[in-house]
Amino acid sequence: MIAVPPGQSWRRRESGPVVRPYAVTGGRTEPADGQVLDLIAVVVATSKGVGASGESPRRSPEHRKIIEMAHQPTTVADIASGTRLPVGVVRVLLADLIMLGAIKVVRQRPAREMPSDDLLREILNGLRAL
Amino acid sequence: MDSGHSSEPEPDVFAPHKLLIAGGFAVGKTTMVAAISEVRPLLTEAPMTAASVGHDDLQDVPAKTTTTVALDYGRITLSPQTVLYLFGVPGQERFWFMWDELAYGALGAVVLADVRRLDDCFPSVNYFETRKLPFLVALNCFEGAPRYEPDEVRDALDLDPGVPVVLCDARERGSVKHVLITLAEHIAARAADDPAGAGPAAAPATAMTRL
Repeated sequence: MIAVPPGQSWRRRESGPVVRPYAVTGGRTEPADGQVLDLIAVVVATSKGVGASGESPRRSPEHRKIIEMAHQPTTVADIASGTRLPVGVVRVLLADLIMLGAIKVVRQRPAREMPSDDLLREILNGLRAL
Repeated sequence: MDSGHSSEPEPDVFAPHKLLIAGGFAVGKTTMVAAISEVRPLLTEAPMTAASVGHDDLQDVPAKTTTTVALDYGRITLSPQTVLYLFGVPGQERFWFMWDELAYGALGAVVLADVRRLDDCFPSVNYFETRKLPFLVALNCFEGAPRYEPDEVRDALDLDPGVPVVLCDARERGSVKHVLITLAEHIAARAADDPAGAGPAAAPATAMTRL
């Protein structure tokens, strides 16, 4: 047996979570609705999601944390980073919440079409003003 | 259940845009993102490949086929609606599976290069040329590295004449800002020259892969 020095955790932060990632999805690795959200897809909690949070037995602590983060529109990448869960896990949990009507997608993917002149000008001016 | 997946953007909705920072191993991608924004870690999963053998011991877990990898990204808020997301794209071959997704819808890319290991950025250059994604090459000026003129590097990489090559210091905010402004100007110029072909990367060149 290896002694843990007093005041130190036996687990190093870099070694990551103790629970295997897909334990929080009950082993599911595919979003239940079959949709793959882009990393910068924007989601937001609905009034239903915000209202009933905490009570529903179908919501895990991770589900509740996602709803909390999505009170303002936020991206899949930001949710994954904020919850420290892998992106694939976040997609599964988001699909659950979307099917429960607790979360809605407000922007699925970045625009496929040409960026508009206005957008490019805004980005250029914004960068120059940094 | 399509109701939750409305793809119509709502007016005034928060609109993030992707830019990519690509380049070889340890060329300074995270440093570059950190110089201009707060860096956030993002956990993703990579399939186990032959490249993992020796790094990840599979002897006791024969069924394991993925491993968790961390990417870095940063956000630059230009206005309440417009936010740039900078994703560091790992250059090693074993991460290629995630390039299509990272590149999907991206406005453009920085290929960060070290003149001492210029061939490390060939895969990134080839990828963005194939995808017709606007990109520039930024030479990270490491101390002690030989200095080359941008045109010498352009020749070495066989770049199209329109692709900007700039010198930078990935640690310096002002220098990174200059790189991104040059990229934004290049994206705008490409859009003006070639309205049909210069947009954000359309459907992935290969099958959509998931992070």
